[in-house]
This record gives sequence, C-alpha cells and structure tokens, in this order.
Amino acid sequence: MSLEVDIHHGQGAFTLNARFRSEGRLTALFGRSGAGKTTLVNAIGGLVRPDRGRIVVQGRVLLDTAKGIDVPVHRRRVGYVFQEGRLFPHLTVRQNLLFGRWFTPRRERAADVDGVVELLGIGHLLGRRPGTLSGGEKQRVAIGRALLADPRILLMDEPLASLDDTRKAEIYPYIERLRDEGRVPIVLVSHSVPEIARLATSVAVLAEGRVAACGPAAEILRHPELFPEPGPAEAGALVETRVLRHEEAFDLTILETGAGPLTVPRLDLPVGASLRVRIRARDVILALERPEGLSALNILSGTVTEVAAGEGPSLDVTLDCGGERLLARITRKSAEHLGVAPGRAVHAIVKSIAFDPQVVTRIPRGE
Amino acid sequence: MSAWLSPEEWSAVTLSLKVATAAMAGSLVPGIAVAMLLARGRFPGRQALDALVHLPLVLPPVVVGYLLLLIFGRRAPVGAFLAEHVGLVFSFRWTGAALACAVMGFPLLVRAVRLSIEAVDRRLEKAGETLGAHPAWVFFLVTLPLILPGILAGMVLSFAKAMGEFGATITFVSNIPGETQTLPTAIYALTQVPGGEAGALRLTLISVALSMAALWASEWLARRVRRRLAS
Amino acid sequence: MAPRRLSKLFRTAFAGLVAAATLSAPAVAQDKGIIVFAAASLKNALDEANAAWQRETGRKAAISYAGSNVLAKQIEAGAPADIFVSADLDWMDEVASKGLIDPASRTNLLGNALVLIAPKDEGDVGALKPGVDLAVALKGGRLAMGNVAAVPAGKYGKAALEKLGAWESLKDRIAQAENVRAALLFVSRGEAPLGIVYRTDAASDPGVRIVGTFPEGTHPPIVYPVALTRTAQPDAKAFLDFLRSSKARPVFERQGFSVLDRPVSGS
Repeated sequence: MSLEVDIHHGQGAFTLNARFRSEGRLTALFGRSGAGKTTLVNAIGGLVRPDRGRIVVQGRVLLDTAKGIDVPVHRRRVGYVFQEGRLFPHLTVRQNLLFGRWFTPRRERAADVDGVVELLGIGHLLGRRPGTLSGGEKQRVAIGRALLADPRILLMDEPLASLDDTRKAEIYPYIERLRDEGRVPIVLVSHSVPEIARLATSVAVLAEGRVAACGPAAEILRHPELFPEPGPAEAGALVETRVLRHEEAFDLTILETGAGPLTVPRLDLPVGASLRVRIRARDVILALERPEGLSALNILSGTVTEVAAGEGPSLDVTLDCGGERLLARITRKSAEHLGVAPGRAVHAIVKSIAFDPQVVTRIPRGE
Repeated sequence: MSAWLSPEEWSAVTLSLKVATAAMAGSLVPGIAVAMLLARGRFPGRQALDALVHLPLVLPPVVVGYLLLLIFGRRAPVGAFLAEHVGLVFSFRWTGAALACAVMGFPLLVRAVRLSIEAVDRRLEKAGETLGAHPAWVFFLVTLPLILPGILAGMVLSFAKAMGEFGATITFVSNIPGETQTLPTAIYALTQVPGGEAGALRLTLISVALSMAALWASEWLARRVRRRLAS
Repeated sequence: MAPRRLSKLFRTAFAGLVAAATLSAPAVAQDKGIIVFAAASLKNALDEANAAWQRETGRKAAISYAGSNVLAKQIEAGAPADIFVSADLDWMDEVASKGLIDPASRTNLLGNALVLIAPKDEGDVGALKPGVDLAVALKGGRLAMGNVAAVPAGKYGKAALEKLGAWESLKDRIAQAENVRAALLFVSRGEAPLGIVYRTDAASDPGVRIVGTFPEGTHPPIVYPVALTRTAQPDAKAFLDFLRSSKARPVFERQGFSVLDRPVSGS
C-alpha cells in the first residue's frame, strides 16, 4: 500500500475530510480550486498538521494524531515539487539538485544522479543559476531536486500550472518516463482533465473537501459526471484503443476501438499496445448518411443518446458508438436541419489529423 | 602618515579601528540571533525585547555609559563575574570602549538584519525542509545566504556608529590615550586644549575618510551579493 | 539596503561625530530666566542656594554644570550665560581676556581643598607628603581625576602630584574624566581604586572615603571666582548678590567650601 490517507482538518469555513488509499504509480488528485487538494498534499508532506487523522506512506506512519505521532517535515522523506518551483536562488542548478542528497543517510542514497539528470534532460543546465532558467527548465530541475533526495513518495502540486501549453507538452514525456521508469510513486495534484487522462494510473476526485471517488484511472475517467465541465475547447470523450497495425507507406497507424477502427498519424508503438485516446467534440462532424468521397478517414456509426445546449450557436451531441461514448459539437442550425434527436442513427466523422500528440497517450503499464 | 600625525593621534586612529572592528565582530552573532527572535519568534515578552534592543537609540549616550558602569563595571554583577571567571575586564580598557560601541550600534545592526529576515521567502525554507534538512540546517544553508545583504548593511552601520561613538565611551571608560581614547574622544580632547584645533581637524578628516571607505566597501559587497542572488 | 537610505544614515552618523567633538553640554534653558554657568563641583551647593533664593524671592535661576573649561568655551562661542562661576582663576581670566565679563562684578567667591579618595570600603595610603608612593596603592588600577590639561580639578591634581614627586610614576596610570564629578563617579562605583577630587565632592558622595588631603602648599590655591557676563540681564545681579550674602554662606560651608568673599553690606 503506497499511500493511505484519512484526515480531518478545519481551516476557517472550509473542512477537509479525506479518506482514500492508492497503489498506483501516479495518483492524480483532481478537483476544482478550493476543493482542498493543496491542503491534502500539504498534510501528506507535513507542511500542514491536520486536526486529526492518519497518514501512511509505503508502510511508514507519518501521522497518527490518536497515537501522538507526527513526523517532522525534514524526516518524512516526502519529495515535494511546488507549483512555483521554489529553487534556491543563491545556488547553482547542480547545488540545488544535490541539496537533498546531502541530508540523506548514505545507506539510503539510491537515486542515480546521472540517471535523473538524463531522465529530465537537464544536463546542460547544471552550472546555471535558477534566475536564468525558463519556466519549464525550472520545473524539471525542481522535479530532479525532489527526486534526488531519495523520497519514498513524490508529491507534485500542480507543477505545470504556471506553464503554457507548449511547455507543458515538453514536460509531460518526462513525467511519463518518471512514472514508468522511476521507482517512486507519484501523487499529482491537477485540475486539468487532459493532464490527468494522460498521466494518471489512479485518480482520486476531491469535491468540497471530500473524496468523491477513488480508483484506477480508466475506471474513474469513464464517469464524466465526476468531472466538472471543462472549458468549451476541452470537451471531449476518452476512448480506449489498441494498436492494430501500422501503414508504413502513409505514416499511419490503425487503432482498434469499440466504435470501430481509427486511423491516426503514425505512432511509435508496437502492435497490440494499449492506448487511451481523446476525441475533442469540436473535431467531430455528424452525417445522417455514410458520406462518400470525403478526405476524412474515420467514419464511425452510432446512435444519438443526448442533445445538450451548448454555448451560443453550438450544441453538444452525445453519441453511443459501439459502446463507446463520443461527443460532437455542431451548430444548432445544423442540428435542427438534420433533425438530430436522441435515438437517431448517425455517423461520426473525425479527421486523422485531429489526433495530435497532446490527445494521444499510452496507457501506463501496470494499470 | 606618522610624519603627519603625532603618536597620540596615530594611536587614536588605530585604536578606533581596533575598537570598531571588535564591536562589529562581537555583536554579529548576538545581533543575528536577536533579529531572528524578533522577526520570527512568538513568545511573551517579545515587545519588551524589542524595546530593550532599541534603548541605546533613544537614551542619551551618557546614560547608556552610566548603565554600562552599573552592569559591567569592576564591581557590578556581570562585570565582576566576567573578570573573575572569564578574565574579561572592561574597566578603563579598550574592551570597555568596544562594549560601549557595540551596545550603541546594536539596534542599528538588529534593524538591518531583521528587515532582511522579514523579506525572505519562507516557502524556500519549507522547501529545504522537505528535502530533508533540519530547520537549523535550513537556517545556515538557505536563510543565512539570503539575508547576507542585510547583515552586511548592519555591520557597516555598527562599524560607522562605533567610529563615531563618544558619550557612552567616555562615561564608561573615560579617555585614556592608547586604551580608550578613540577618534571622537581624541578630537574632543584636542578641542579642549588651546592650539589643538589643527590636530582635531586632521583627525576629523581621517574619521570621515575611514567612514566613507567602510561605506563604499559595504556597498560594493552588497551589490555583489545581490547580483549573485538575482542571477 | 538602498544606497540612498544608507548614505542618509551615514550623513547622520557623520554629523554626530562632528557634534561629538564639541561635547554636548547639559541643555541651557531658553526662557528669560537667569542662566548660570557653574563648575561641576558646585552642583550640590548651588542647587541648594538656588532653592533658598527661590523661597525668598520666588525667582529661580537655571544652572548649567560642566567642567569650567567647557563652560568657558561655550561662553566664548556666544552662549547666553548671565553668571559664570569657574573652579579656577585661569578660565575666568581666559574669558575676561576676551572681554566677555563685567570686570567690576568679579570676586573670588569660594575656596576648596583637594583630597585623595577611595571607594568607601577600601584603600589606605598613609600621609600625603613628598615621597609618598601612590602607585603601589593603585594595585594595577587607575587614578581617576579630571583632565589634567583643561579641567581645574585635574590641573590642581597634577600640580599637587608633581610637588609630591609622585607624578612621574603615576602619569601613565591615570583615567582622565571631563569633569570632577565624572572622576568622583569612577571611584564611587569602584572602577578606580583612587581618585583626586575636591573635598566638597567627597563629602557629597557616601560611596567614597577621603584617605588623604593634599597640603595647601602642593597646589595653587583653589579659588572659585564669580562674575556677571557682559550680556547679563539686570536681574542677574540680584542672584549674584544673594550668593555673596550671609544667607548663602551657611549653604556653602555646609557642603565644605570655604567662603572667601566678604559679605555684601546690608545682609
């Protein structure tokens, strides 16, 4: 059992009452702002002392108010990557990285310095000072610094929140590598569904200070009602797929899904690999008849299950395609003209090019 | 230099430097400790400590000198104890002059360091703890380097105050050439004697030059440290 | 710390240094009352006389005490004193030579004796006669006295020690204070094992004990001249006359001064 949390904490008008367990390699703590995610993570790290409760990490009791156990921060061996990085400005990157190592008892020093540096791609930054680094570089150094302190668990509190999408996209692969190749379980706080969909092996959803749901990512992500409606650009569906074959001649990969085959740009994955794919509502076109002579390669057939009012001119249509739930965003005008209503049989059309690397993520091993 | 200054004047200069340096060095650790207590501590009597530290700023220097006599004099409780058990004597010695200067400059040192401490991002200290550093280590490896500019500023103020201290010194340990006759008291003595104005002026120029040198040195140091922290 | 703030503090420190070179004397009253500059050793006696004058006339003088050398310099610099009482003739002469006093009003008011003191539970030196060895009695400590170049008590003390042949062995073992009361304080606190002050000072402080009186021949006679300054207010003469009257005499004698002046007629 890598993480066991059961705490109660009152902070002004807000009460946190969180109970959950997690085994996964990367547990995402999801919730809206104000749901209590940071308080929860701070409690695990020891930066906040809950009114009462129990926290166990890798079998080691860090907090047990009933027994009077409260391990001080510097002895918890909990690595913490902060949203603002918090690198020491008066030290070089190398000195920052090695800071925690010095305080780790020699016999417990297992982290491989060169390995971590290589994993995070920060080798060329070692002599620099934090003030000269970009946001993305700072966060990678912060992750490295936390790792090199040989923690038993790695906490990340929205570490990428202050970065723009391009930077985030740069760092995601590093976190994935960490998740897959590192030996330390990770707890990642996030309010971004795409981020969680991509990175998490298990998810705990926090709402108003309570854990609304907790379990393997694939499970939890199937229940969109748990996740507050993301911004208009983000609405979409998650589809579990498997690599069927590659079309080398055209740099394409064919994925097998419950809704039918999906053709996407070539992925560097072996046949049979499992994949979770996100199809954005704005990328889905609806047709009453199966179209001919269309450039789009993905035509899935399904039935309308729900039509919901969208923003202004648009509508969100929920489809069932062979058991997979898909979302399509179309204009109200078209919906009316086509007579889109629950029960209607339709075809969903998705361009292959719509599947960019941001929405495609390999399902983590061990899930 | 020795041709320009008489031996007594020269000894006043070297004594002043010695006394000011000792005063500054001696108040450094207590000053940082008290500044930490005042900036971070939450204990009953914190206000009282704050007021006590600022007393030398608001009391007439002669009164401070008198209080020093009462506490650190040959027969006084602390003075007698130190003389007997530590071998530290203040009575009519340069150590007494250094103590007077240190006490008078202490509030300036504490204020400068405290300001710096209050400006430290405490989240950095917390980050240090999450990396396994005991709070004491965090102080030495994280806090201390970050408050270095404040410490430097405080040291310069302490040194400059010591170079100019008069009232407390002359009341506590009088004006003994070679032992307690620092620049200010030497200048004073020269103005009391007819024909001493020339010597007084020479010494005044020297003390101005010394103070400006100390000021310039501290500005240069502080700039270097700030550059290192910002880069 | 911003350079501007630091240089402002430096300017203040520098101003303080320059001011220190002229030692701030006790504040002088700004109102229209009579201002008296008096030697430090007169403090107890003059305060009492002042109180007596107030009881009699309802008026009160503001008295500033310091070493006579300091007071003389202040008068020369234009301080608004009405009456000057010096502890020796030199400093009164100095001020007179600059034309700053009313020569007609000058008289020798009081006399004093010079004594050797020790903290009340210490020290015995034997008789103060030529050949006395005071260095031994110091036991490594210092002899507190007024500044020997400027303060009257210091000048008298040096003269006396020279006459006794003890100056050479002692001159590196003295602690010079800027007025005789400061020297008294050092002995009273036990800082200095011996000190040279006026007999009147020794009498005023129970913390010290007289261990010897310097014979009169060893130093110039200790005379306290008094005079009105040239800029004195008309009122000031009344106070001066009071000080010379037979009413003030017992006050001075009680403190240990010898009254040299003949009483002003009619009192």
